Amino acid sequence: MTSITKMVTEAFEKDESHGHIHIEAKPYSNPYLVGIGLGLVLLAAFVIMGRGLGASGALSTVVAVTVNTIAPEHASGNNFYSEYIGDGNTNPLMDWLIFQVLGVLVGGFISGTISHRVIKGIEKGPRISSKMRLFYAFVGGGLLGYGAKLARGCMSGQALSGGVVLNLGSWAFMMMVFAGGYAAAYFIRRQWI
Amino acid sequence: MKKFLTNLTANQKLGAVALLLGFIALFTGDPYGGTTIRVNEKDIALSTVGNSDKVSVTELADWIIKDKADFELIDLRNEEKYNEYSIPKAQCIPLVQLSSSELQRNQKIVLFSDNDVAASQVWFILKSKNYKGVYILDGGLNAWQEKVLFPKAPVSNSKEELAQFEKMKEVAKYFGGSAQTDSSVSDSKPEIKFPTSNNGNTKTTAPTGKKKKREGC
Amino acid sequence: MNAPFFKFDYFNTDVSLIIAFAIGIAFGIALEKGGFGRATILASQFYFTNMRVLKVMFTAIVTAMLGLYFLSVIGFVDLSLVYLTQTNMLPMVVGGLVAGVGFVVGGYCPGTSMVAVATGKIDAVVYVAGMIFGIFVFGEMFPMVEEFFNSSFMGAVTIPSYFNLSYGLVVFLVVLMALGAFAAAEWGEKKMAAKTGKEKV
Repeated sequence: MTSITKMVTEAFEKDESHGHIHIEAKPYSNPYLVGIGLGLVLLAAFVIMGRGLGASGALSTVVAVTVNTIAPEHASGNNFYSEYIGDGNTNPLMDWLIFQVLGVLVGGFISGTISHRVIKGIEKGPRISSKMRLFYAFVGGGLLGYGAKLARGCMSGQALSGGVVLNLGSWAFMMMVFAGGYAAAYFIRRQWI
Repeated sequence: MKKFLTNLTANQKLGAVALLLGFIALFTGDPYGGTTIRVNEKDIALSTVGNSDKVSVTELADWIIKDKADFELIDLRNEEKYNEYSIPKAQCIPLVQLSSSELQRNQKIVLFSDNDVAASQVWFILKSKNYKGVYILDGGLNAWQEKVLFPKAPVSNSKEELAQFEKMKEVAKYFGGSAQTDSSVSDSKPEIKFPTSNNGNTKTTAPTGKKKKREGC
Repeated sequence: MNAPFFKFDYFNTDVSLIIAFAIGIAFGIALEKGGFGRATILASQFYFTNMRVLKVMFTAIVTAMLGLYFLSVIGFVDLSLVYLTQTNMLPMVVGGLVAGVGFVVGGYCPGTSMVAVATGKIDAVVYVAGMIFGIFVFGEMFPMVEEFFNSSFMGAVTIPSYFNLSYGLVVFLVVLMALGAFAAAEWGEKKMAAKTGKEKV
């Protein structure tokens, strides 16, 4: 076991150029087992709440509430924001998704801490500078934010949750995400490999 | 065969289990359970105890005045009768169209027709399909007519009954009816002229006043 | 016992928020353990060097799908009460493409970026800022795209009902497809590893 981890560590050390990443060689678990675990969490959400997981919705609520605070008339006149602001009776921030996303932050931190994987750094491939990586991260985030809202969901909401209930649109979305990713992968390969 | 199975890696074993379950799914049928009806005698008998399956007309009148929106009021008669007069906030779902309606199992549903019969029949059907909150309007439209629209003056002159009658007068006015104070008329059935305005009658679906909780992602 | 519990008023909205938090924690732990808090692992999906994303995602979907299906068949879960997003085919196809590009350029998706932020990745923080910006742009542009956003509306439709297949058959086909994808992924990874001589994480 230790020889394998040593090999992995060395393989990465040879490639890194700016010394931002060093791997604490705790290898990740069997992906299928992780998948089953994730599937059970998904199932729990369905059985308990009758809905699946999500992520982008929480961010939309935050954006909508912020816009509403700064320019309430503009927000309520806009059909996209007004949906996330609600009817004024309940606090829009007391939202199921927001609490779930907060949980993800906590859960990720807990799991990372246990496995010594909480390391400040920038994830990137060997052939790109950190600055460019951050630029691409912003652009990529913008594209994903836009695309996810257009499709009424992101990977967690549409692909995972919609996939479980065999939602037609969700499966179509999932396939297109893979298509878009693979299509663009060639052009952005300097960032990763 | 056994040797083949034991020689599979852990991952492949998982895959085999998944394949088996998927294969079983081919034969286990519809997960919506829509077409079959399971009658649970005990359950149904229990729910009739203490009239917990019924809603009185005065109760219903109260809910409507208070603008309660957490229930679905269903008129089971045909459309013609519904258009002539129906209780405000009622949706028209004739008995024959019941299976294609959009009623959900976790909704509070109050059923009525002219008398109790159709409502009881539908109550039974829905209970067998595992609907949880189904209620019969006690006495149906006939009782509504008698007690809410055209309440009669009480025979005795006890204080509570008089106070109750005063309240019912207001209720009757609210629904477009009128209290019957002339005691001589109370023997023969008065010519019932239904109030022509049907406030807030909605045709089908779209429950009003209940904000749909956003459940997307 | 009736499920989904929330739909049968077993608990109120406030409790549901606590449950949301708890489920989120479990979600976060599962994601982090899967290595999804790292953009390099997520992106290697698209270069065939590490197919974790595909394996975890499809395993999760198959697990939950089988679970939900069988629980519904035995009558424990009322499937008609489980939320189904409406399908607007065109915007979902276009949105998927854009999101896919965003995924490989940015290296995260919304859920995984949260895990990455929690484990200290600065690029993830920038990514989240980007997402917020993208959502904001979408919101501001909304009046212009609103018509497209609502186009090709198909209602809340499932694959079985659209293709007129039995639900169980589609479940079986999805399992087959997933197993096929796993086999292809394992084969692809081996080939790439042999090609580049690198050990995958």
